[in-house]
Amino acid sequence: MRINDVTLKVGGEAGSGILTVGHMFAKLMQKSGLQVFLTNDYPSLIKGGHNTITVRANPQRIYALTAGIDILIALDKKTVQEHYRELREGGALIYDSGKLKEEDVKLERPDVRKIGVPLSKIATEAGGDIFFNQAAMGAMLALLKMDLAKYDHMIEKAFGRKGADIVAKNKQVVRAGADHVRTNYPDPFGINVNPVQTDARNLLINGNDALCSGAVAAGVHLVAEYPMSPSSSVLHWMAAHAVKYNIVVKHTEDEIAAMNWLCGAGFAGVRCLTATSGGGFSLMNEALGNAGIAEIPCVIINDMRCGPSTGLPTYTEQADLRFALHASQGEFPRIVAMPGDAQEAFWMMVDVFNMADLVQTPAIVLMDKYVAESVTTIPSIKAEQVRIDRGLLQTDAQMAEAANFKRHALTPSGISPRCIPGQKNGIHVCSSYEHDETGYTSEEASMRIAQIDKRERKMRAISPLLYQPAFFGDQSSDLLVVSWGSSKGPVMEALKLLAAKGKSVRYMHIRYACPFAADTISAALKRAKKSLIIEGNSEGQMRNFIREKTGLLIPELYRRYDGRPFEAEEVAAVIEERLLK
Amino acid sequence: MVTLAELAEPKHTVTWCPGCGDFAILVALKQALVKAGREPHQTVVVSGIGCSGKLPHFIKTYGFEGLHGRSLPAASAIKMANHALTVVDVGGDGDGYGIGMGHFIHTCRRNIDFTYIVHNNQIYGLTTGQTSPTSEKGFKTKSTPEGVLEEPVNPMALAISAGATFVARGFSGNLPHLADLMCQGIQHKGFAIIDVLQPCVTFNKLNTYEYFVKKVYKLDESNHDASDKTAALAKAEEWAEKIPIGVLYKVSKPTYEDGTPQLKEGPLVKQSLKRDVGALLAEFE
Repeated sequence: MRINDVTLKVGGEAGSGILTVGHMFAKLMQKSGLQVFLTNDYPSLIKGGHNTITVRANPQRIYALTAGIDILIALDKKTVQEHYRELREGGALIYDSGKLKEEDVKLERPDVRKIGVPLSKIATEAGGDIFFNQAAMGAMLALLKMDLAKYDHMIEKAFGRKGADIVAKNKQVVRAGADHVRTNYPDPFGINVNPVQTDARNLLINGNDALCSGAVAAGVHLVAEYPMSPSSSVLHWMAAHAVKYNIVVKHTEDEIAAMNWLCGAGFAGVRCLTATSGGGFSLMNEALGNAGIAEIPCVIINDMRCGPSTGLPTYTEQADLRFALHASQGEFPRIVAMPGDAQEAFWMMVDVFNMADLVQTPAIVLMDKYVAESVTTIPSIKAEQVRIDRGLLQTDAQMAEAANFKRHALTPSGISPRCIPGQKNGIHVCSSYEHDETGYTSEEASMRIAQIDKRERKMRAISPLLYQPAFFGDQSSDLLVVSWGSSKGPVMEALKLLAAKGKSVRYMHIRYACPFAADTISAALKRAKKSLIIEGNSEGQMRNFIREKTGLLIPELYRRYDGRPFEAEEVAAVIEERLLK
Repeated sequence: MVTLAELAEPKHTVTWCPGCGDFAILVALKQALVKAGREPHQTVVVSGIGCSGKLPHFIKTYGFEGLHGRSLPAASAIKMANHALTVVDVGGDGDGYGIGMGHFIHTCRRNIDFTYIVHNNQIYGLTTGQTSPTSEKGFKTKSTPEGVLEEPVNPMALAISAGATFVARGFSGNLPHLADLMCQGIQHKGFAIIDVLQPCVTFNKLNTYEYFVKKVYKLDESNHDASDKTAALAKAEEWAEKIPIGVLYKVSKPTYEDGTPQLKEGPLVKQSLKRDVGALLAEFE
């Protein structure tokens, strides 16, 4: 009997309610004191198609999915046939016995327990087909020998505002599903969930929501965005919280407008944010350069998906690193941050807002679909640790005393005091042209060099403590795995799998490409006898960037660019093959 | 009280061609700001790129010289970030009605309280004379040596139908009238568009001062009812023989800011950045 370690997959057409089952199960597991990882796989359409949502629950923190599932809830025939082989020995298939025929659930795996439940019939009897996903939930909870009271409470919370009748019907359907399993499939299932009493509070959150929360904590006041998968949920979340937190959230006419809104808002002095994916980021490029030359702080989230062009809109990739590093013509400083999970997403968002204000330049947060949309439990965030630092933004009192104020003054650090419209004694033009210290257009050669050099110098003001890579695994090992961004999760899980075999390596997770901790990264590579980099693109973009910055070529490269995230077992096998052999 | 002298920026050399209609726009804008009593440090003049785009450097207010065609999004954001400011956007016909046309239509819909002054010379000047969206059909330019095949854009009709609440046309050959229009636009609560017929003395030999002097007439000297949308659209269609200048359309509607409760506690830029992060994260517990 396995306790408190279960992986569920639900599959069906888009719009069939699989998201509700997955998310409510994840919440139930969190409320039961377990750690959770939830991820979804869906094509770019609204109704129909083939969608799955996978949820793993375990007492240990989960960074990514591992292979294999324990329960498959199949809302259609396609889900049965495409996914039943993923079931572990003795796993259960829950399906609608009223809708799927005997041949639909013909399996080549006699060990799989087939749990037929008349889901649609139960739902219709209770008041509508719409409830049938809750019947499946009831069947699963009975299989896992879970008390329904906790789930009842969640139903009340989730559907309470829809009225007592809807709550009652949901509960009724859950019970009917559970009763059907208890009556017809009484044999014990190999896995039980026994809720754990714990004082440790955690958050169940996806990467995009973590970025949003971080931005709100950092004091964002204006969000301008045009919807694009997988970044749209940033717009939705921000819009839903806009009035509560006094944030102006504008769904602009396009991404060009969104980025130009940021230039205006940043110049006017508010912290501002946009989110997009590669296509939208392409449209933002010209205005990104405007923010660079005009020294306007702002933050851009690029939730990467498969490119080029429309690519694979709902699948993950890490192929915009080079693009983010060089986007827009000319040379200007930028911050490029690459959080590897929701916890990092929150804190790095707070940090990049401070960095953008300090350096007076745009910051790009590179996430990808896998981290943006996967929902995980992370340790509770200590809100009192949030610090807001607006750099050399001048107060009204400071400006009241200012004389001969030069917005782009050539200072030793490269950073000039910044005033904003409305303040006295600071009148200047914030210009997309090259300019002199006052902001007036200048095409004079020496001023051009001085302004380029000034902007370049600014990045050195960022404390190196903020942009160091994170190290995990065995710090004494001379075998080094390197990755960045969303590859962190699968590597962290791979380390666990290796540890179970008594094997270990050192792992370096690179969190920032700009500024780049070249010294630390170089030292780690030099110390390693063997090293391997894992990244989600075909060119090995970070590998090449590390070579450019350190002169060191990581010998081993493992790539994936099929739109799917790395799997823990896959990464563990690669580490064993390339480093541990 | 602000004076014309305070708005002068003597350190910067005005780079427009001698005789350019832009000079009158600059002077009219200064007069309008003085008349409306807007303090220089509480005013932002926003521009795109083009001959019009240089204007912020020639007036002593805060300025934002952004990208070609993208001044309206920047101006909108400046106003939303600090709605205590007076925001005046100056653009050109290529800038606002060509590359920036999408922003123009959507900005008209929004009714954010700022003024948009378009230097409409029916030609691309700074790029040395190519056709513009308002160039007349058959007009020969460097990019259309056989003559323009397209119908010109009608910015006044577009603005009225897209929902702008103050739609006016001025002529840089009539400075007092233009300054008065700009003052009205600045004082109007909502999005005000003023299209200015502004002869390009270097590249446009068709739409000259003489061309316009013969054609323009003042709407306030006719019996035009600017609150009548149908009448306004009819005036917007007048071009061939006579060209009306003045306020074509004016209506009072709630502004975008009025519909944004986030601004009730004052300008965003004055609001605290501190949030109750603990409460914020409770929804994920």
